[in-house]
Amino acid sequence: MKSATHLVDTGAVVNAAAGSRPTFLVRRHLNKLRWLCLSLVFATLVLLPMLHVYQSYVAAHAYDLLSSPERTFYDAMQWITQPFTDDPAEDLDSIKGSTWSATLFGLKLSDPLAVAGQIAATLAVYWPFVLTAAIPVAFTVILGRFFCGWICPATFLYELNTNFGLALRRLGFRLGGRRFDRRLKYLVLVVGLLLSALSGAMLMALVYPPAIIGREIYYVIAQGAFGTGMVFFVLTLLFDLLVARRGFCRYLCPGGALYSLLGRFRAVRIQRDVDQCNDCMRCNGVCEFGLDPMRDGFGQECNNCAACIAVCPTDVLRFRLRVNDQEYQGPGHFGPICRRRMRAGETAAGEQPFGENG
Amino acid sequence: MDRRALIKGSARAVAGLTAAAPFGLARLLAPEASAAPSTRLKPPGALADDSAFTAACIGCGLCGEVCPPRCIRFYQRDGGDAANTPYIDPRAKSCTLCGKCMEVCPCDALGVIPLTEIDMGIAQIDRNACYPWVDRGVCGACVVVCPLGERAISFEFATFYRPIVQDGCIGCGQCVEVCPEPSLPIRIVARPKGSVAPHGRVTQSAGA
Repeated sequence: MKSATHLVDTGAVVNAAAGSRPTFLVRRHLNKLRWLCLSLVFATLVLLPMLHVYQSYVAAHAYDLLSSPERTFYDAMQWITQPFTDDPAEDLDSIKGSTWSATLFGLKLSDPLAVAGQIAATLAVYWPFVLTAAIPVAFTVILGRFFCGWICPATFLYELNTNFGLALRRLGFRLGGRRFDRRLKYLVLVVGLLLSALSGAMLMALVYPPAIIGREIYYVIAQGAFGTGMVFFVLTLLFDLLVARRGFCRYLCPGGALYSLLGRFRAVRIQRDVDQCNDCMRCNGVCEFGLDPMRDGFGQECNNCAACIAVCPTDVLRFRLRVNDQEYQGPGHFGPICRRRMRAGETAAGEQPFGENG
Repeated sequence: MDRRALIKGSARAVAGLTAAAPFGLARLLAPEASAAPSTRLKPPGALADDSAFTAACIGCGLCGEVCPPRCIRFYQRDGGDAANTPYIDPRAKSCTLCGKCMEVCPCDALGVIPLTEIDMGIAQIDRNACYPWVDRGVCGACVVVCPLGERAISFEFATFYRPIVQDGCIGCGQCVEVCPEPSLPIRIVARPKGSVAPHGRVTQSAGA
């Protein structure tokens, strides 16, 4: 009885007071789905080069020539692929590549940045290649920068890196939390394309983490050693850890810049319900891209990752079909500011209790 | 915009252009081809011009990932602005002309072309080192292994086992991989343009 009266005031536990369990909301679990998605993409990128090595063994009928660890590897790969194919040397070619450019059962998909970079480097448009980016571009126009949150193999490592940084902070290390101008990445994109045009080299592939990761995993597994891109990637990890949280994606990534521009008027975006929000600010704390969900500040750089939705204690953040963000709706109606206004009796004076737009 | 902002802005623009200049100069001043002959070949179906190939290739690695013999490797820092573009070193592992890389390439760097139109180079035999040519026994490994047969390489008439490269050679390099002579007297060089040099002589213009 005592605990019940203690809880009544908070509003968030209305369900508990009514004696029922909180309703199951799919959107609260989208972040887990996203992690599953990221892990699957990353695991695929690790598996594909291994399957390629296996394919080359099969094509050469080389089982009898393999060393003992190679045979173990061969057997493992055979165990994985046996349910799906009788002819691994040919059939496993149906899924190849990385997020930079891939072929899936005959469908070729490329990163829009690869297309932009190639057009800049060759100063020509090769349509069969441009069209391989059509599907990613279409999805980006609708879903915004979702690639950055849901697919990018570098995001998988960067978010683990963020968590590692948070653990270090908890242990008392002082790590960088600097903020820069978010528009810097558009400059990186434009300057990168200009330099590609001047030098005639695919510079984007050298500084774009998902391209680097896809390549380097292939290099280390199928070709025996990491390439030079790994040096760059480790530097970005250190930058994220020591200078700015998730700094490369926030401030420097040219691909993120391109996706942000393409997703400027995305149809699916996260919006806040101001009349249940209690201004707890957890969404701002969890946002990897340093956005401001609590004040409706999503913008073109939101990657629809749903981390803020998962962390929201009052379930006021949700996906909506809108092509524009809401203006700032004022402080949340369950938040301290509104409650202070309520207590001060502003309602009695005929004023809006919930701020300018509320 | 006040004067201070204008000066600052233009100073930044000048600084940016200065920083960009070396990249542009690199393209303008780059030599047509490197002086040292390279044993590295471009994959089959590649654009003929080296710089066009470097510009067109996006470095996705798909060609290497479908290559059954895993002969396609990738330039790292040693490739300069060709970093992450593919090459084949026939001394280590040669191309089997399966054509999978040509089919999988998403861009125009590798095009699907008929087998006989592939031009990775042409084989050249050093008659001062090849075993049969210096009468150090019989060999014929290069002729036996050649996937194109007589139109690419054959034995000299009446003197068995002395190989002669024919014009049909497309430079896959399987003969280089199989050659038992340690100095590899057979190698793949750039196909001569214009007048054709007689095969069997090591010329200084070898390599691309």
